[in-house]
Amino acid sequence: MPTTSELARAVRQAFEYLKAQGDIREAEVFAAANGSLLTRVNYTSHIPCNGVEEPKSTESYGIGIQAVFNSPEGLKVGFGSEPSDLTLEGARRALEKARQGAVHDPEFHSLAKPTGEPRTLTDYHDPKLLQVRDEELVENGWKVVTGALRTFMASSRLVDLAGREAAVKRLGLILGGDVTILQERIALASSHMPEVQRDESTLIMSFLTAMVEARDAKGSGWSTGTRLDHFTDEAGVDAAANAIQAIGGERVRSGDYMVILGRQPVTDILNNLVLPSCTASAFYSSSTPFLGKLGKPVASPLLTIYDHGAMPGFMGSKGITCEGLPTGRTNLVRNGVLVGCLTNWYEAQRLLGDPKLNEKLGAEPDAARAALVPRNGFRFGTGGGRMFDTQPGVAASNVVVEGTESVPLEELIGRVRNGLYIGRIWYTYPINGLRAGDFTCTVVGDSFIIRDGQLVAPIKANTIRINDNFTRILANIVGITKDVKGTLVWAADEVVYAPEVAVRGVHVDEIAGFMEDLT
Amino acid sequence: MPRKITTALIDDVKEMVHHLATAHFRSLAHLRYGDVRLEVAEGKAAAAENGASKFSGEDYGFSFGIRVLAGERMVAPGYFGRSLGAADLDSLEKILKEGIEKAYRRAMANGELKATVREKFGSLGDSLADTRLHPIRVSQDLVPAEYEIDPRTVDLKEMERYTTDVSRQVGALGDGVKYNFISTMTQLARELFASSEGALIDQAFALTQGMCYVVAASNGTSQELYDVLGHQRGWEILARGVNEPLMTFPPFVDFARSLATEAVELAAAPALPSTEGEVVVVTDPHYNTLVSHEIIGHPVELDRVLKMETAYAGRSWLLRGLDEHQVGKPVASPLVTAYSDPSLPGYGHYKYDHEGTPAKRVVHIDKGVFKGFMNSRQTAAIFGGDPNGHWKATDSSLVPLIRMSNTVFDGGDRDARDIIAEVDHGYYLVGHRIPSIAESRENFRISARKVYEIRNGRLGQLYRDGGIMADTKDYLMKVDAVGSDFRLYPIPTCGKGQPMQTKKLGNGGPTMRSRARLTGPVVGAMD
Repeated sequence: MPTTSELARAVRQAFEYLKAQGDIREAEVFAAANGSLLTRVNYTSHIPCNGVEEPKSTESYGIGIQAVFNSPEGLKVGFGSEPSDLTLEGARRALEKARQGAVHDPEFHSLAKPTGEPRTLTDYHDPKLLQVRDEELVENGWKVVTGALRTFMASSRLVDLAGREAAVKRLGLILGGDVTILQERIALASSHMPEVQRDESTLIMSFLTAMVEARDAKGSGWSTGTRLDHFTDEAGVDAAANAIQAIGGERVRSGDYMVILGRQPVTDILNNLVLPSCTASAFYSSSTPFLGKLGKPVASPLLTIYDHGAMPGFMGSKGITCEGLPTGRTNLVRNGVLVGCLTNWYEAQRLLGDPKLNEKLGAEPDAARAALVPRNGFRFGTGGGRMFDTQPGVAASNVVVEGTESVPLEELIGRVRNGLYIGRIWYTYPINGLRAGDFTCTVVGDSFIIRDGQLVAPIKANTIRINDNFTRILANIVGITKDVKGTLVWAADEVVYAPEVAVRGVHVDEIAGFMEDLT
Repeated sequence: MPRKITTALIDDVKEMVHHLATAHFRSLAHLRYGDVRLEVAEGKAAAAENGASKFSGEDYGFSFGIRVLAGERMVAPGYFGRSLGAADLDSLEKILKEGIEKAYRRAMANGELKATVREKFGSLGDSLADTRLHPIRVSQDLVPAEYEIDPRTVDLKEMERYTTDVSRQVGALGDGVKYNFISTMTQLARELFASSEGALIDQAFALTQGMCYVVAASNGTSQELYDVLGHQRGWEILARGVNEPLMTFPPFVDFARSLATEAVELAAAPALPSTEGEVVVVTDPHYNTLVSHEIIGHPVELDRVLKMETAYAGRSWLLRGLDEHQVGKPVASPLVTAYSDPSLPGYGHYKYDHEGTPAKRVVHIDKGVFKGFMNSRQTAAIFGGDPNGHWKATDSSLVPLIRMSNTVFDGGDRDARDIIAEVDHGYYLVGHRIPSIAESRENFRISARKVYEIRNGRLGQLYRDGGIMADTKDYLMKVDAVGSDFRLYPIPTCGKGQPMQTKKLGNGGPTMRSRARLTGPVVGAMD
């Protein structure tokens, strides 16, 4: 993979070339090199398996150019890119594609301009994660597998259930998931920020699911970090221990419950429902339930949510956005009131210029401007990476959820007294469209019945479905725990630093009764 | 070598790739199997929003992926993938060899650690096994793409004008349409597969798609609808529509206008009330396209069935262990037959999968009895049965997964009108919208675009924001009518794998009747 210096050199050269073109009014050059190293794990004690199923990687690098052209029909904006070529020839090819595809977009105002905020995060990556050997990639996968196997082997409960140690494998022990290392390097320059900027970020994460399948018991474990030296078998150990703890799960009847949502459900609801509702484009297209609600309550006063892309040591941190603007803190919900949006430059400018701004956002331009600071213009690819061949979209980075008057988990369980602790949900979608707020999901593991202020029994995996509305969930929050942990969900761009959140009146339906009789 | 990347590049590199896959692979001491996938695509796209052009572009895609099975004490897999550009052409052979070396090193390290862990963990290590592939007929073949209007000849400016005009026409339908986004794309791709067993398969695919997303509102109630018109054909399908025995679409502009008109109508309709108990539901072919996708297709993917997707896409209720599964048992009404068939047209059509297996129809449910799974060579070697060619990747640089081809409910012999006319009181669900499925696919909730009440055999009140929820086996067992109006539709964004691969594939079915709970909206805090 090219170094960041090589990317910066390519950007400088391409930008000088663009400046010499007579028909270009504004331009931006973005070069990137990305590596995604992923060891996918699949252990099954009752089915032949590989343990480490896929030690693999993908790599890409190249240059992307966005240019504003003077043309007889007026200004035209175009984007083009060229992979695997950081020479001037590569830049020429990218520019030609941009010129060929340029369109007149009446809502385009300009390329990104400095916001006046300073960059605060530099040199925050671990160089070791940029030089992982093939053998280390494989070893990290086996590290989490052996952590889980050790935990399963040490469990006297599994031996008791199986009758003897040699029969434990018949309980259907499963470990699935992955260890992922992301390597991202970028450099960019533009007409409004001609000094070449560069950024380098890395992270390592593991997300695992374990099961004792014969007992329908499922548990998960995960770890996130930015240092290779800090990576341990923690995720495998936690997943196996949580699966063992889930043995003996009970069914729960349909009804409305006081529920504590664990970190994964909080993250899943944010990822699929709340954060998409807080993007500038959702307001522009009138597809958010928060339409016209800026400055108004959208949640319990206990709840505060913000995105912070420049937090040192946090996994989703970046020094600059893929538009060259500093990352930083964007308050979204403060004490229950909607106060800001996630946006990039383009979306902010066009919403601010929208004649229906007040109707859509619920604020006049001055207030709206403060809520629409472009700190989230990223070019994320699926599975990570900052892609040279796409234009900036809008994505969160590190999302932090906090409560006023937050309490320890034990105290929250005590306050709930009777209800459910839901630790992992699945397939959380806005079933009637985002603006309606209705959502549904099933409860797949890490969950317990709360009785008399205690966790008394696991909830059997895949036996209840939540059918509710997320605007109700936000409004009905009655408690939030103190401790947050970086939490990931499948295919998400952002990391949510999530606490556990108690909500009253959550509706669940009992499902899949036929599975009890399946032979 | 040419400096411009076109699909013709495959002709220039075919022999070199074949040589690498045979002679070079065989020079690696502990290699048991290896393959190379190389892909080139030439595509164009345009997008418009609210009648204004937003983007147009023409570009190529070029990538490769390597799979190696190797090991000294135990056999294990290793992979490598990369995107490529025109600048790589002069050193392509060297780049491919480096990729092979990396995949081989990973497989060797993986096999060594597998053997070590197997020894260390006693009976829990017993299931760690050598990676094996079920034998297949090794093929060498050339498969051309089908199209009338070559995607490479479509004028980009005309494509931009057309796309913007569709968006303008949708916006012109009235004040009820608050927002629309229209995109079009057309591309020609060519995939080369070569293996250490001697396979050399060169397949070309044309693909053209139009997508419409619309937000309509009326008195504070909104409707967001989305649908695609797509086929493995050229630009003609957007300009003229599709009129084939199994697939029918109007021209794209009419398709998009119709969707927007529907959204406006629905925004003014009342919300569907939920029910506590089951009611009679009749579902149309478009709705059953998503039902077949979610509760037939996904749970019969053998990688998921064998627990390989436990952390991501989930497992399947159809198998608990190798000797505890539903094969040969009734899982649906005798009226229900379902299968996957790559020979059908549309997004799910292909002749060979991405490990060179000749693709063939696999019956999942035959008159209510469960028969079998979609598989790959590796999963067939574990579970048994012949490989049926369903191991597919979204891009050559990514590792394939078991994916649907065209997974469908088979058509029956009833007139769809009679299926409705026989209902005293029930509901007719038209068009699929959004799914949420339980982890092992044992329960589902899927919303419909439109729901009509049926009274005395006639369609009555139209409702918005409704759908059904049911346990999969119960729902399938209660099917009491299957129509003869079978239709295939494209599914443009099926997500699976890690990293997530978004794949285009086909699903379909006829009109069907069963029983389920109705699910309507929940009153939210904003109401």
